[in-house]
Amino acid sequence: MPEDARSFARQAREFLDAHATRASGTQFRWGEGDDTVAYFSADPEDVRDAKLRAAKAWQRTRYENGFGWISGPPEYGGRGLTPVHELTYNGIESEYDVPDTGTLSVIGLGMIGPTILAHGQQAAKDRYLPALYRGDIIACQLFSEPEAGSDLASLRTRAVADGAEWVLEGQKVWTSIAQHSQIGMALCRTDMDAPKHKGITAFLVDMSAPGVEVRPLRQMTGASDFNEVFLTGVRVPDDHRLGEVNGGWRVALTTLMNERATVGGARTGGVAESLTPDRFSALMRATGALDDRALRAELSGLLADMLATEHLNDRAARALQAGMTPGPERSVAKLMHGQNLTRAAHFVSRVLGPRIIADTGEWGTYAWAELLLATPALRILGGTEEVMKNILAERVLGLPKEPGTDATSPFRELPRSGRGTS
Amino acid sequence: MKDDNEELGALREAVRDFLADKSPESAVRATMETGYDPAVWEQLARQLRLTGLVLPDDHGGDGFGLTELEVVLEEMGAALLVSPFFGTVVLAAQALLASADKAACARYLPGIADGRTTATLAVAEASGSWDAATVETRAERVKGDGPAGTEGGSPPCPEDAAEGWALTGKKSFVIDGSTADLILVAARTAAGLALFAVDRGAPGLHAGPMTALDPTRPLSVLTFDRVPALLVGGEGQGGALIGQVLDIACAGLAAEQAGGARRCLEMAAGYARTRFQFGRAIGSFQAVKHKCADMLARVELAEAAAREAARLADEAAAAFPVSAATAHITCSQAYMFAAAENIQVHGGIGFTWEHPAHLYFRRAKSSELLFGGPAAYHERLLARLGI
Repeated sequence: MPEDARSFARQAREFLDAHATRASGTQFRWGEGDDTVAYFSADPEDVRDAKLRAAKAWQRTRYENGFGWISGPPEYGGRGLTPVHELTYNGIESEYDVPDTGTLSVIGLGMIGPTILAHGQQAAKDRYLPALYRGDIIACQLFSEPEAGSDLASLRTRAVADGAEWVLEGQKVWTSIAQHSQIGMALCRTDMDAPKHKGITAFLVDMSAPGVEVRPLRQMTGASDFNEVFLTGVRVPDDHRLGEVNGGWRVALTTLMNERATVGGARTGGVAESLTPDRFSALMRATGALDDRALRAELSGLLADMLATEHLNDRAARALQAGMTPGPERSVAKLMHGQNLTRAAHFVSRVLGPRIIADTGEWGTYAWAELLLATPALRILGGTEEVMKNILAERVLGLPKEPGTDATSPFRELPRSGRGTS
Repeated sequence: MKDDNEELGALREAVRDFLADKSPESAVRATMETGYDPAVWEQLARQLRLTGLVLPDDHGGDGFGLTELEVVLEEMGAALLVSPFFGTVVLAAQALLASADKAACARYLPGIADGRTTATLAVAEASGSWDAATVETRAERVKGDGPAGTEGGSPPCPEDAAEGWALTGKKSFVIDGSTADLILVAARTAAGLALFAVDRGAPGLHAGPMTALDPTRPLSVLTFDRVPALLVGGEGQGGALIGQVLDIACAGLAAEQAGGARRCLEMAAGYARTRFQFGRAIGSFQAVKHKCADMLARVELAEAAAREAARLADEAAAAFPVSAATAHITCSQAYMFAAAENIQVHGGIGFTWEHPAHLYFRRAKSSELLFGGPAAYHERLLARLGI
């Protein structure tokens, strides 16, 4: 590790030693503790609120000590270092018991903050960047719509100019964290006659403005980790515009490039702790399945893929730290992550047998149903498997794009589901 | 996936260029009929110094680690090189090192290092299993002259003249069994399993080639009828030794498999880019595109697993046995998948004898099962995880 990296690591450790305790690393024991296995949070609302308060407080502590925005510019409270330093800090922090700041950082700090920095006007940067990274406010992403999922560029929430303001009208979906957010980054249609990529503008929306309605979206697992956000006559000042008028797709790409980087890391969510060799073998022992040859072979295949995916992530992180440009490792890791968790959930179901169908009250059995019901999302969110494979094949293997996809006709003329054109 | 550093990249390029020149497809097809080319072997050993790459300096080697060997093996796997390299360097030399038998190492490693001695390791018997418990070949002490008839080997050492061993039994699936100068044999003594060294021309030894699925990896049946042999390491040490060597062998094989899988991916993607049907490149059809993406994902995973196992071996990490077993599974699956899908992307032409795709298919299948296949490798991983 080069000298400045070494001294940074030392400072990070000093900060953490002063403000947090080392993680205890308790040994897993079958039958002890909480048996929850959930990809999405299954917490009741009061618990979620308490966790969020703790996360914001921890983010503030980080910010005040120079670790809130390690790669950000100093004029907004950042430390002016590199993503490599971020990685270093995250690695060291993972050894400590600190609140999980994923709710703030995955979207707000990891994606929207950098977008505001790159494309925001001065007033917006001054107002929102320090507040975001200090943990005072939370940001959400208002991108996907019911008719614009994989084909995000076909979005149709309108923004119409009215004096020094824009008036927004439309609906967003799959917005996580909207219910806790103070600002949202919204992509809107500002030119119906330009080709679809060329008629989009990005805005920062005050989530408490009149006309913004957040409605929880109930997902397959029964919980609501996502929302619909209805925008009805929402007025947004022009100084909250990000990037150029009709130049919003470029802004969106900034945000999306950061998204692919965050979904797919080996340690996503506490679920990683439940998917260890120890936990699986304890489950098999408890259900009398440890000697079942077929299940053992299935477990081995699953563990091999999980361990190999971990190796892939570790090697990619080391390459990044050595200053090498990343290859397709992250995208491959995201693909594998979805497949590994899905396979794990189905494997566990086979071990549990009828105990996954209904709750017998036995520790660590029906709890897996939560994960099972969450896994379909992993092959869809943050870019579906099919889209990821297109990207890998086209950008890495050089295979030609699908011919005939229309990116040049006026947006108004593009065919939509259920009817002809707009 | 890119190499960890420039030196490894340079090594890879040197080996790749050498193999492109000395082992193109035409050479593979020729040597799979006639046997490996001794001139290529000599260049590989003397000019590229690959046979001594990971052997200790004091035995004529260059003292590199599995990390460097892994790169070499990837390239050899990609080229389907027909050569005694795997048997000599990965199996036999590693078994000698694992035995910690100083006399045996001093006797045999220098010859291996400079390419004079080719070698192999004979463990499996009729069932093909590498499980030490299945070994029935037996070793009996013989008093008197010690081992006689050392054609093609090194002169006998004075300390063994008093007492030697004689092996009786049958080994199958022995890599390069008919050509190896030195054959290390797992056999059972009264005290348990042990490793023995046998010279090619030893009396009572009969080698017969097996017709094999993969003609690029010659396999033989070796019959032993009181064949003179030298003990390597201690009596009863054999079981542990085989376990150790198997971990390294699995990691080495994984490297070959990762290289072969990558070459299959390159073939498939290349074809998908250039073969036109229905007025466009077949790779523009999503089904084909996704198939190639699936292959890419598996190949990236395989390379990560094989390279990580090598790195952990060099660090003498406690995690090495698990990583070797992981690499073996991941790379076996990736290679078989890539080889089969490569044929699929090629359509009819991929099914012809003249197209190289089937050569990779054969190597992939044989490699997958060389050390027992899924029936064995799953339990091996679980055992190393303590499950």
